[in-house]
Amino acid sequence: MATVENAPRHRSVGSAKLREALVAYAFILVPMGVFLLFFIWPLAYAVYISRYDWGVFGKIETLGFENYRELYRDEIFHKALKNTLLYTALVVPIQMALGLAMAVIVNAGIRGKTFFRSAFYFPSLASSAAITAIAIYILSADGLLNAIIGGNRPWFGDSDTALFSIVGLNAWTTSGTMMLFYLASLQAIPTDVYEAAAIDRAGAWRTFWKITFPLLKPGHFFVGVVSVVGALKVFDQAFIVSNGSGGPNSSTLTAVLYLYRTAIGDIRFGYAAAMGIVLFVLIFTVTLVQRLLFGRPDTA
Amino acid sequence: MAVDVASTSAIPRRPLSYRARRLLVYVLLVLVSALFFVPFLWTISTALKSLPETTGFDLVPDNPSLRAFREVLTDFNFARFALNSFILAGAITVANLVLASLGGYAFARLRFPGREVLFMLVLATLMIPDQLRLVPVFQMLTNWGLVGSFFGFIAIHLVLPTELFLMRQYFLTIPKDFEEAAKLDNAGFLKTYWKVMLPLAAPALAAVTILTFQGMWNDFFWSLIILGFGDPDVYTIQLGLAQFRFQYQTLWPQLMAASALAILPIALIYVFFQRYFVAGVVASGVKG
Repeated sequence: MATVENAPRHRSVGSAKLREALVAYAFILVPMGVFLLFFIWPLAYAVYISRYDWGVFGKIETLGFENYRELYRDEIFHKALKNTLLYTALVVPIQMALGLAMAVIVNAGIRGKTFFRSAFYFPSLASSAAITAIAIYILSADGLLNAIIGGNRPWFGDSDTALFSIVGLNAWTTSGTMMLFYLASLQAIPTDVYEAAAIDRAGAWRTFWKITFPLLKPGHFFVGVVSVVGALKVFDQAFIVSNGSGGPNSSTLTAVLYLYRTAIGDIRFGYAAAMGIVLFVLIFTVTLVQRLLFGRPDTA
Repeated sequence: MAVDVASTSAIPRRPLSYRARRLLVYVLLVLVSALFFVPFLWTISTALKSLPETTGFDLVPDNPSLRAFREVLTDFNFARFALNSFILAGAITVANLVLASLGGYAFARLRFPGREVLFMLVLATLMIPDQLRLVPVFQMLTNWGLVGSFFGFIAIHLVLPTELFLMRQYFLTIPKDFEEAAKLDNAGFLKTYWKVMLPLAAPALAAVTILTFQGMWNDFFWSLIILGFGDPDVYTIQLGLAQFRFQYQTLWPQLMAASALAILPIALIYVFFQRYFVAGVVASGVKG
């Protein structure tokens, strides 16, 4: 087939190839330009900036690794990192459990599957700013939640509960996305294993734990990594509930919020860049573990 | 005796009848759904109330009124913020449709030296988090005088790696026969892309449209960094919402009206084009 097709063009094969390459370069010119300029180059530039004391007008002083050493000593950074890790440790299992539970229910051959799937996924789509504003209202001292449980605690305004409230809020919104990933993963399980279970007269509960749950292993890892990476970047909700301060009493100060404050508030670009690189290494390590375990991303 | 008990319990108990179990599942579903609906119903209900009425907890307002909506749109400038968000999200969506599909087509179908290396670079961009880019990108935009400008916001989102990746993956699934036919007609690459590939890639284009528009409409991080200083006339709706919440802590009906407006366009698109949302999320999620 291929030879037949190439035969009449025999003489122009070289120039046809050249033309194809030139067209391809023209097609990818702008995308590659944008990626190089706004993604790849910033990586190098951030490393460069992180070695200086750097303000709005650029370099102030060469510091070498001093910014990184300062991060190591900076107790506010430690607090921010601790908050972020605590948040991640709490929100990831909750999101995964909710996402899986919803996926299983939706996938159980019920009537109105599409409706329930849509309903569960909706909070994931709504803007974080709007969802946070709604949560602030419902969790306020005289809000709906307190009216139902009969309390008067300002959930986001109390340093004992502020971070946990963000955990609850984000578990609620993000579990819909996790449900979609789990649904895709559930549908990849061949039906004959269930037929075998049915022949063995295994109950639904047993079938789930003995068959479905273990077979979802790639799904668990994928959802887990997406969830961890997302959690480590938590920012919008913490910013909005605390007016950008990370309060009360630094209880909602996440790593990214501290980075933002250092860069945009204190205009310490060098220090903020160093923080960005530390975060990047953290996130990259998590992602790398996934890639190593599951190979190329597009075959996951 | 003990043996007897053991043997009776070993016989599988009659399972709950099919219908009873179904019923249980639906009751559970309705309860869980309530958890997902109540906050939004409460938002709309509050937005239709007057401020004094918010001290009560009736879901249905006594005298529902659109006053809060009118106030946010006019007095609190949300008509402007919404327009800004539409312009930004719209422009970026159009740019992505063109550039991501062209790039995706080239990577999926055309042969050129360096294709593998360049594609690795695309995959690499997917792994660079926004948080790392904050300082360098902000510094670059400052140097070019693009902070506080729509152009700065559009420039960094002109084409998104996720969108290009999604298009490329979709083009790979289209059988080559279609292009072979075009080739026999002596159609050029641009014509093949435009006349043959794009129409076939309609579902992917729909997913890119929705994914990009939704992402940009909802964006908070880059809006805050690039447009969050000084002139409120360039605020996006999400930025305006955050600002409103800081300034007017407990104007609940207005805050809820503004929140509803910030969600409304995405909710509408979702109702009509649901399957593309799902397809887009799963496709873009697969890349990690």
